[in-house]
Amino acid sequence: MAEKYDATTATFMGVPRKEIPWWPTIDYEKCNYCMDCDKFCPHKVFERRDEEEKKLIVKNLYNCVVFCRACAKMCEPDALIFPNKKEIIKLIKEIRKRDEV
Amino acid sequence: MSKKICLLPCNGLDKALGVITREVSLKVIEKDSSIDLICPVLYNTNEKKYDEILKDAQIIVIDGCSTRCAAKLADMKGQKISKRIFIPDMTKKFQLRPGKKLVLDIDGEKLVEKIAEEIFTEFITELTTVTEKKEERKFVGVEYFEITVDKYHFRVPKEGYYFNENDCWAKIEGKTALVGITDYFQNKAGDVIFVDLPTIETKIEQFDEVADFESVKALLQLISPVSGNIIDVNNELENSPEFLNCDAYEQGWVAEIELADLEEDKELLMDGPTYFEYMKRKIVEEN
Repeated sequence: MAEKYDATTATFMGVPRKEIPWWPTIDYEKCNYCMDCDKFCPHKVFERRDEEEKKLIVKNLYNCVVFCRACAKMCEPDALIFPNKKEIIKLIKEIRKRDEV
Repeated sequence: MSKKICLLPCNGLDKALGVITREVSLKVIEKDSSIDLICPVLYNTNEKKYDEILKDAQIIVIDGCSTRCAAKLADMKGQKISKRIFIPDMTKKFQLRPGKKLVLDIDGEKLVEKIAEEIFTEFITELTTVTEKKEERKFVGVEYFEITVDKYHFRVPKEGYYFNENDCWAKIEGKTALVGITDYFQNKAGDVIFVDLPTIETKIEQFDEVADFESVKALLQLISPVSGNIIDVNNELENSPEFLNCDAYEQGWVAEIELADLEEDKELLMDGPTYFEYMKRKIVEEN
Protein backbone atom coordinates (compact mmCIF):
# COMPACT_ATOMS: atom_id res chain seq x y z
CA MET A 1 0.00 0.00 0.00
CA ALA A 2 1.20 3.49 -0.75
CA GLU A 3 2.55 5.55 2.09
CA LYS A 4 1.05 9.02 2.22
CA TYR A 5 1.61 10.35 5.63
CA ASP A 6 1.27 13.94 6.64
CA ALA A 7 3.24 14.64 9.79
CA THR A 8 1.76 18.11 10.15
CA THR A 9 -1.70 16.75 10.86
CA ALA A 10 -0.84 13.29 12.19
CA THR A 11 -1.61 12.38 15.76
CA PHE A 12 -0.59 9.53 18.03
CA MET A 13 -3.15 8.68 20.68
CA GLY A 14 -4.77 12.04 20.15
CA VAL A 15 -1.47 13.89 20.62
CA PRO A 16 -0.02 15.84 17.68
CA ARG A 17 2.83 13.71 16.33
CA LYS A 18 5.01 16.82 16.23
CA GLU A 19 4.89 17.05 20.02
CA ILE A 20 6.30 13.55 20.50
CA PRO A 21 10.10 13.47 20.21
CA TRP A 22 10.40 9.81 19.15
CA TRP A 23 12.89 8.95 16.41
CA PRO A 24 16.33 7.36 16.17
CA THR A 25 19.57 9.27 16.49
CA ILE A 26 22.60 7.99 14.60
CA ASP A 27 25.81 7.54 16.55
CA TYR A 28 28.24 8.41 13.76
CA GLU A 29 31.16 7.01 15.74
CA LYS A 30 29.59 3.58 15.40
CA CYS A 31 27.62 3.72 12.13
CA ASN A 32 29.30 1.78 9.32
CA TYR A 33 26.85 2.97 6.64
CA CYS A 34 25.62 -0.52 5.85
CA MET A 35 22.23 1.15 5.19
CA ASP A 36 20.27 -1.81 6.54
CA CYS A 37 18.10 0.53 8.61
CA ASP A 38 17.19 2.49 5.51
CA LYS A 39 16.51 -0.65 3.51
CA PHE A 40 14.16 -2.15 6.05
CA CYS A 41 12.34 0.86 7.46
CA PRO A 42 9.06 1.02 5.53
CA HIS A 43 8.43 4.58 6.71
CA LYS A 44 11.30 6.39 4.97
CA VAL A 45 12.68 7.85 8.18
CA PHE A 46 16.26 7.83 6.89
CA GLU A 47 17.82 9.49 3.86
CA ARG A 48 21.05 8.57 2.12
CA ARG A 49 23.53 11.31 1.27
CA ASP A 50 26.04 9.50 -0.87
CA GLU A 51 28.09 12.59 -1.64
CA GLU A 52 28.38 13.87 1.91
CA GLU A 53 30.52 12.96 4.89
CA LYS A 54 27.50 11.79 6.84
CA LYS A 55 26.16 9.39 4.25
CA LEU A 56 22.96 8.74 6.16
CA ILE A 57 20.75 11.10 8.10
CA VAL A 58 17.50 10.87 10.02
CA LYS A 59 15.39 12.90 7.61
CA ASN A 60 11.70 12.41 8.32
CA LEU A 61 11.61 12.48 12.09
CA TYR A 62 7.85 12.34 12.39
CA ASN A 63 7.45 9.43 10.00
CA CYS A 64 9.01 7.26 12.68
CA VAL A 65 6.38 5.06 14.32
CA VAL A 66 6.18 5.98 17.99
CA PHE A 67 7.62 3.10 20.08
CA CYS A 68 8.97 1.15 17.07
CA ARG A 69 12.65 0.29 17.44
CA ALA A 70 12.98 -2.22 14.62
CA CYS A 71 15.90 -0.36 13.00
CA ALA A 72 17.91 -0.42 16.23
CA LYS A 73 17.21 -4.11 16.55
CA MET A 74 18.74 -4.86 13.19
CA CYS A 75 21.64 -2.40 13.44
CA GLU A 76 24.73 -4.54 13.68
CA PRO A 77 27.09 -1.88 15.10
CA ASP A 78 24.39 -0.73 17.56
CA ALA A 79 24.53 2.81 16.22
CA LEU A 80 20.88 3.83 16.60
CA ILE A 81 19.69 5.42 19.82
CA PHE A 82 16.08 5.96 20.85
CA PRO A 83 14.63 8.15 23.62
CA ASN A 84 13.52 6.66 26.92
CA LYS A 85 10.15 4.99 26.36
CA LYS A 86 8.82 5.65 29.86
CA GLU A 87 9.45 9.36 29.56
CA ILE A 88 7.67 9.47 26.22
CA ILE A 89 4.63 7.66 27.67
CA LYS A 90 4.60 10.14 30.54
CA LEU A 91 4.74 13.03 28.10
CA ILE A 92 1.91 11.59 25.98
CA LYS A 93 -0.27 11.21 29.07
CA GLU A 94 0.47 14.78 30.15
CA ILE A 95 -0.41 16.21 26.76
CA ARG A 96 -3.61 14.13 26.65
CA LYS A 97 -4.56 15.58 30.00
CA ARG A 98 -3.75 19.10 28.83
CA ASP A 99 -5.80 18.69 25.66
CA GLU A 100 -8.51 16.68 27.42
CA VAL A 101 -8.29 13.84 24.90
CA MET B 1 11.29 -39.80 17.43
CA SER B 2 12.45 -36.26 16.95
CA LYS B 3 13.13 -34.94 13.50
CA LYS B 4 16.48 -34.55 11.85
CA ILE B 5 18.23 -31.19 12.03
CA CYS B 6 19.77 -29.31 9.10
CA LEU B 7 21.80 -26.13 9.01
CA LEU B 8 21.36 -23.66 6.19
CA PRO B 9 23.96 -20.88 6.47
CA CYS B 10 23.97 -17.94 4.06
CA ASN B 11 27.66 -18.65 3.54
CA GLY B 12 28.15 -15.04 2.44
CA LEU B 13 31.69 -14.76 1.14
CA ASP B 14 31.76 -11.01 0.76
CA LYS B 15 31.08 -10.02 4.35
CA ALA B 16 32.86 -10.87 7.57
CA LEU B 17 29.63 -11.95 9.27
CA GLY B 18 28.71 -14.07 6.26
CA VAL B 19 31.98 -15.93 6.74
CA ILE B 20 30.98 -16.48 10.37
CA THR B 21 27.84 -18.36 9.27
CA ARG B 22 29.98 -20.84 7.36
CA GLU B 23 32.43 -21.32 10.21
CA VAL B 24 29.65 -21.78 12.76
CA SER B 25 28.03 -24.45 10.59
CA LEU B 26 31.30 -26.30 10.15
CA LYS B 27 31.92 -26.18 13.89
CA VAL B 28 28.46 -27.57 14.65
CA ILE B 29 28.66 -30.51 12.25
CA GLU B 30 32.17 -31.26 13.47
CA LYS B 31 30.71 -31.73 16.96
CA ASP B 32 27.64 -33.65 15.86
CA SER B 33 27.83 -35.47 12.58
CA SER B 34 24.15 -36.40 12.64
CA ILE B 35 23.36 -32.80 11.75
CA ASP B 36 23.28 -32.08 8.02
CA LEU B 37 24.71 -29.07 6.32
CA ILE B 38 23.01 -27.54 3.30
CA CYS B 39 25.12 -25.61 0.84
CA PRO B 40 22.99 -22.64 -0.21
CA VAL B 41 24.58 -22.43 -3.65
CA LEU B 42 23.95 -26.05 -4.51
CA TYR B 43 20.51 -25.96 -2.93
CA ASN B 44 19.63 -22.97 -5.06
CA THR B 45 20.66 -24.57 -8.34
CA ASN B 46 19.85 -28.21 -7.67
CA GLU B 47 17.42 -28.64 -4.82
CA LYS B 48 16.83 -32.29 -5.66
CA LYS B 49 20.21 -33.07 -4.15
CA TYR B 50 18.71 -32.28 -0.77
CA ASP B 51 15.34 -33.97 -1.20
CA GLU B 52 16.22 -36.88 1.04
CA ILE B 53 17.89 -34.78 3.75
CA LEU B 54 15.12 -32.21 3.88
CA LYS B 55 12.32 -34.71 4.12
CA ASP B 56 10.90 -34.19 7.62
CA ALA B 57 13.88 -32.11 8.69
CA GLN B 58 13.93 -29.11 10.96
CA ILE B 59 15.95 -26.29 9.45
CA ILE B 60 18.10 -23.85 11.38
CA VAL B 61 18.86 -20.90 9.15
CA ILE B 62 21.95 -18.79 9.82
CA ASP B 63 22.10 -15.34 8.26
CA GLY B 64 25.01 -12.93 8.45
CA CYS B 65 23.26 -9.74 7.42
CA SER B 66 19.86 -8.21 6.90
CA THR B 67 19.68 -9.28 3.29
CA ARG B 68 18.82 -12.64 4.88
CA CYS B 69 19.78 -14.74 1.88
CA ALA B 70 19.42 -18.03 3.75
CA ALA B 71 15.96 -17.25 5.15
CA LYS B 72 14.81 -16.04 1.75
CA LEU B 73 16.21 -19.11 0.03
CA ALA B 74 14.35 -21.41 2.43
CA ASP B 75 11.20 -19.39 1.89
CA MET B 76 11.62 -19.48 -1.88
CA LYS B 77 11.95 -23.25 -1.77
CA GLY B 78 8.84 -23.53 0.37
CA GLN B 79 10.74 -24.82 3.40
CA LYS B 80 9.66 -24.02 6.94
CA ILE B 81 12.32 -22.43 9.10
CA SER B 82 12.41 -23.92 12.58
CA LYS B 83 14.99 -21.61 14.07
CA ARG B 84 16.87 -18.67 12.75
CA ILE B 85 20.16 -17.22 13.86
CA PHE B 86 20.96 -13.67 12.91
CA ILE B 87 24.66 -13.06 13.47
CA PRO B 88 24.32 -9.32 14.26
CA ASP B 89 22.12 -10.31 17.23
CA MET B 90 24.89 -12.59 18.38
CA THR B 91 27.65 -9.99 18.07
CA LYS B 92 25.56 -7.81 20.39
CA LYS B 93 24.73 -10.63 22.76
CA PHE B 94 28.32 -11.79 23.17
CA GLN B 95 29.90 -8.35 22.74
CA LEU B 96 32.30 -9.73 20.17
CA ARG B 97 32.89 -7.70 17.05
CA PRO B 98 34.92 -9.36 14.33
CA GLY B 99 36.77 -6.98 12.00
CA LYS B 100 35.81 -6.39 8.41
CA LYS B 101 38.41 -8.77 7.03
CA LEU B 102 37.08 -11.87 5.38
CA VAL B 103 39.24 -14.22 7.40
CA LEU B 104 38.53 -14.97 11.04
CA ASP B 105 40.29 -12.80 13.59
CA ILE B 106 40.43 -13.52 17.33
CA ASP B 107 36.99 -12.06 18.05
CA GLY B 108 35.65 -13.94 15.05
CA GLU B 109 36.95 -17.24 16.35
CA LYS B 110 35.52 -16.61 19.81
CA LEU B 111 32.20 -15.65 18.29
CA VAL B 112 32.07 -18.84 16.21
CA GLU B 113 32.74 -20.88 19.35
CA LYS B 114 30.03 -19.05 21.33
CA ILE B 115 27.38 -19.32 18.63
CA ALA B 116 28.08 -23.00 18.02
CA GLU B 117 27.70 -23.58 21.75
CA GLU B 118 24.46 -21.63 21.78
CA ILE B 119 23.12 -23.70 18.89
CA PHE B 120 23.63 -26.83 20.94
CA THR B 121 22.47 -25.56 24.31
CA GLU B 122 19.50 -23.52 23.15
CA PHE B 123 18.27 -24.42 19.72
CA ILE B 124 19.03 -28.08 19.27
CA THR B 125 17.91 -28.96 22.79
CA GLU B 126 14.64 -27.21 22.13
CA LEU B 127 14.12 -28.79 18.73
CA THR B 128 14.87 -32.30 19.92
CA THR B 129 12.78 -32.12 23.07
CA VAL B 130 9.47 -33.64 22.17
CA THR B 131 6.94 -31.33 23.69
CA GLU B 132 3.41 -32.40 24.27
CA LYS B 133 1.17 -30.72 21.81
CA LYS B 134 -0.55 -27.95 23.65
CA GLU B 135 -4.25 -27.72 23.55
CA GLU B 136 -5.30 -25.41 20.77
CA ARG B 137 -6.65 -22.03 21.86
CA LYS B 138 -10.35 -21.76 21.39
CA PHE B 139 -11.80 -18.64 19.86
CA VAL B 140 -15.53 -18.96 20.04
CA GLY B 141 -17.76 -16.81 17.90
CA VAL B 142 -15.55 -13.77 17.44
CA GLU B 143 -17.55 -11.27 15.41
CA TYR B 144 -15.86 -8.86 13.06
CA PHE B 145 -16.26 -5.48 11.43
CA GLU B 146 -15.08 -5.93 7.84
CA ILE B 147 -13.98 -3.72 4.99
CA THR B 148 -12.33 -4.40 1.62
CA VAL B 149 -10.14 -1.78 -0.04
CA ASP B 150 -8.68 -2.71 -3.44
CA LYS B 151 -7.41 -6.24 -3.03
CA TYR B 152 -6.98 -5.93 0.72
CA HIS B 153 -9.47 -7.25 3.21
CA PHE B 154 -9.47 -5.94 6.77
CA ARG B 155 -11.27 -7.25 9.82
CA VAL B 156 -11.48 -5.89 13.36
CA PRO B 157 -13.06 -7.88 16.21
CA LYS B 158 -16.11 -6.10 17.56
CA GLU B 159 -15.72 -7.03 21.21
CA GLY B 160 -13.25 -8.40 23.74
CA TYR B 161 -10.13 -6.98 22.09
CA TYR B 162 -8.25 -3.76 22.86
CA PHE B 163 -5.93 -2.02 20.42
CA ASN B 164 -3.05 0.44 20.47
CA GLU B 165 -2.11 2.81 17.68
CA ASN B 166 0.74 0.52 16.74
CA ASP B 167 -1.86 -1.81 15.21
CA CYS B 168 -1.48 -4.51 17.84
CA TRP B 169 -4.24 -6.10 19.90
CA ALA B 170 -4.78 -7.62 23.33
CA LYS B 171 -7.65 -10.03 23.93
CA ILE B 172 -8.50 -9.90 27.59
CA GLU B 173 -9.23 -13.23 29.24
CA GLY B 174 -9.61 -12.55 32.94
CA LYS B 175 -6.19 -11.94 34.46
CA THR B 176 -4.29 -12.67 31.28
CA ALA B 177 -4.38 -11.41 27.71
CA LEU B 178 -3.38 -12.82 24.36
CA VAL B 179 -1.57 -10.33 22.14
CA GLY B 180 -1.11 -10.15 18.39
CA ILE B 181 -1.13 -7.94 15.34
CA THR B 182 -4.10 -6.55 13.42
CA ASP B 183 -5.16 -7.18 9.83
CA TYR B 184 -4.02 -3.68 8.96
CA PHE B 185 -0.54 -4.52 10.28
CA GLN B 186 -0.29 -7.83 8.46
CA ASN B 187 -1.54 -6.36 5.19
CA LYS B 188 1.09 -3.68 5.42
CA ALA B 189 3.85 -6.10 6.32
CA GLY B 190 3.17 -8.53 3.49
CA ASP B 191 3.85 -12.24 3.88
CA VAL B 192 5.55 -12.89 7.18
CA ILE B 193 8.36 -15.39 6.74
CA PHE B 194 9.75 -15.48 10.24
CA VAL B 195 8.70 -14.62 13.78
CA ASP B 196 11.16 -14.08 16.58
CA LEU B 197 9.14 -15.07 19.66
CA PRO B 198 9.95 -13.78 23.14
CA THR B 199 11.19 -15.84 26.05
CA ILE B 200 8.61 -16.97 28.56
CA GLU B 201 8.87 -15.18 31.93
CA THR B 202 10.00 -11.92 30.33
CA LYS B 203 8.51 -8.89 32.05
CA ILE B 204 7.30 -6.22 29.69
CA GLU B 205 5.98 -2.71 30.02
CA GLN B 206 3.17 -1.36 27.91
CA PHE B 207 4.56 -0.44 24.45
CA ASP B 208 7.61 -2.68 24.79
CA GLU B 209 8.37 -4.93 21.85
CA VAL B 210 7.05 -8.47 22.30
CA ALA B 211 8.17 -10.05 19.04
CA ASP B 212 9.84 -9.20 15.73
CA PHE B 213 8.34 -10.15 12.39
CA GLU B 214 10.22 -10.42 9.19
CA SER B 215 8.49 -10.21 5.90
CA VAL B 216 10.23 -10.02 2.56
CA LYS B 217 9.69 -6.27 2.70
CA ALA B 218 10.46 -5.21 6.22
CA LEU B 219 11.24 -5.91 9.84
CA LEU B 220 8.32 -5.03 12.08
CA GLN B 221 7.56 -5.31 15.77
CA LEU B 222 4.62 -6.27 17.91
CA ILE B 223 4.39 -3.38 20.36
CA SER B 224 2.54 -4.61 23.42
CA PRO B 225 -0.79 -3.00 24.24
CA VAL B 226 -0.49 -4.25 27.82
CA SER B 227 2.10 -4.62 30.57
CA GLY B 228 2.84 -7.80 32.46
CA ASN B 229 4.69 -11.07 32.38
CA ILE B 230 4.91 -13.29 29.30
CA ILE B 231 3.59 -16.68 30.33
CA ASP B 232 3.13 -18.43 26.99
CA VAL B 233 4.04 -18.03 23.33
CA ASN B 234 2.44 -19.44 20.20
CA ASN B 235 5.14 -21.85 19.04
CA GLU B 236 2.94 -22.84 16.12
CA LEU B 237 4.01 -19.59 14.46
CA GLU B 238 7.56 -20.88 14.13
CA ASN B 239 6.34 -23.50 11.71
CA SER B 240 3.37 -21.60 10.35
CA PRO B 241 4.08 -17.85 10.31
CA GLU B 242 1.34 -17.58 7.67
CA PHE B 243 -1.23 -17.66 10.52
CA LEU B 244 -0.25 -14.05 11.09
CA ASN B 245 -1.43 -13.18 7.62
CA CYS B 246 -4.45 -15.41 7.26
CA ASP B 247 -5.82 -15.45 10.82
CA ALA B 248 -4.24 -12.54 12.69
CA TYR B 249 -6.81 -12.36 15.49
CA GLU B 250 -7.16 -16.03 16.37
CA GLN B 251 -4.61 -18.68 15.37
CA GLY B 252 -2.12 -15.87 14.78
CA TRP B 253 -1.96 -14.92 18.48
CA VAL B 254 1.65 -14.36 19.47
CA ALA B 255 1.99 -14.40 23.25
CA GLU B 256 0.01 -14.64 26.45
CA ILE B 257 0.65 -12.04 29.10
CA GLU B 258 -0.25 -12.12 32.76
CA LEU B 259 -1.64 -8.63 33.21
CA ALA B 260 0.08 -6.21 35.57
CA ASP B 261 -2.25 -3.21 35.45
CA LEU B 262 -4.93 -3.39 32.78
CA GLU B 263 -6.85 -0.37 34.05
CA GLU B 264 -3.77 1.83 33.69
CA ASP B 265 -2.96 0.32 30.26
CA LYS B 266 -6.50 0.94 29.03
CA GLU B 267 -5.96 4.68 29.28
CA LEU B 268 -3.97 4.45 26.04
CA LEU B 269 -6.00 1.76 24.25
CA MET B 270 -8.98 1.69 21.91
CA ASP B 271 -11.92 -0.70 21.79
CA GLY B 272 -13.02 -2.50 18.61
CA PRO B 273 -15.39 0.12 17.15
CA THR B 274 -12.91 2.96 17.83
CA TYR B 275 -10.00 1.06 16.31
CA PHE B 276 -12.08 0.17 13.26
CA GLU B 277 -12.77 3.87 12.64
CA TYR B 278 -9.11 4.74 13.29
CA MET B 279 -7.97 2.03 10.85
CA LYS B 280 -10.42 3.15 8.15
CA ARG B 281 -9.11 6.71 8.45
CA LYS B 282 -5.57 5.47 7.99
CA ILE B 283 -6.53 3.43 4.94
CA VAL B 284 -8.33 6.40 3.37
CA GLU B 285 -5.33 8.68 4.01
CA GLU B 286 -3.06 6.22 2.28
CA ASN B 287 -5.14 5.83 -0.84
